[in-house]
Amino acid sequence: MFKDLNPILHSQLRLAVISILISVKEAEFTYLREKTDATAGNLSVQINKLKEAGYIDVSKSFKDNYPQTICRITPQGVRAFEEYVRDLQSYLNIKK
Amino acid sequence: MEQENEFSGQESLALITKMINKARRDYLDTGLSALLWGSVITFCSLVTFANHYLDWPALEYVWWLTVAAIIPQIVIVIREGKDRKYRAYEDDLIGGIWISFGIAIFLLAYIVSVYHVAEPAPLFLVLYGIPTFATGYARRFRPMLIGGVTCWVLAIVSHYTPYPYTMLSLAVAAQLAWFIPGLIIRKRYLKAKAQHVQRS
Repeated sequence: MFKDLNPILHSQLRLAVISILISVKEAEFTYLREKTDATAGNLSVQINKLKEAGYIDVSKSFKDNYPQTICRITPQGVRAFEEYVRDLQSYLNIKK
Repeated sequence: MEQENEFSGQESLALITKMINKARRDYLDTGLSALLWGSVITFCSLVTFANHYLDWPALEYVWWLTVAAIIPQIVIVIREGKDRKYRAYEDDLIGGIWISFGIAIFLLAYIVSVYHVAEPAPLFLVLYGIPTFATGYARRFRPMLIGGVTCWVLAIVSHYTPYPYTMLSLAVAAQLAWFIPGLIIRKRYLKAKAQHVQRS
């Protein structure tokens, strides 16, 4: 049953990122790194995976001459997250 | 959070809850806007109250300070925007409410002067309560909820209070709606900032 959970979201760091992005309209890369305690490299890889899955949008710009990466969840990401939570709840209910 | 380990359903739900709470708790205003307006309105109200007895013509213009305070307010908004690492869903909504309030308050001041309203304090207090209560409600921030309700209670009180005592209602409202919540927000902000500096 557990393997039926969305593999893109069933990863600690990716799930943490999506959980933050579902709570806010948009967040900078540095904010996500701060909240997840992840390294920049690992976070960057996981964000890319979420982006490739179409779950988040990533836009890059400059702020005070420093590169700035802003992430926001897409409607597809919201649906995937809701489905993941539903699957998780039904899994836990069955297990009980 | 470096490993891509298998984790249980319970752990997964716990992680979701933890992250959502982290993001939700993380709302941090600098508190400067609330402190600014809390101070300016309190000052203007108390000066107006004192001037009823002093009768100094120059002090009749003290409320123009509210116009001058727009400049530091703009600076605060720009700086906060630059420092902000995320935007919450309700940010635009709350911003819109405060901009509407700012416009409405200056329009009301104009109308009150044109129609020579004898005692406008209750009208201002009703307006003060709206964005304050709305912000407290949206942010789940009790001091501003209390501040908003206090403004409305004082609006009723000042309707039955003779001038210049209505000015004291305005001062109390500014303290409870903005200055004291501003102090609480500022304290939280500085604490969070100090923790952030320690971590990095």
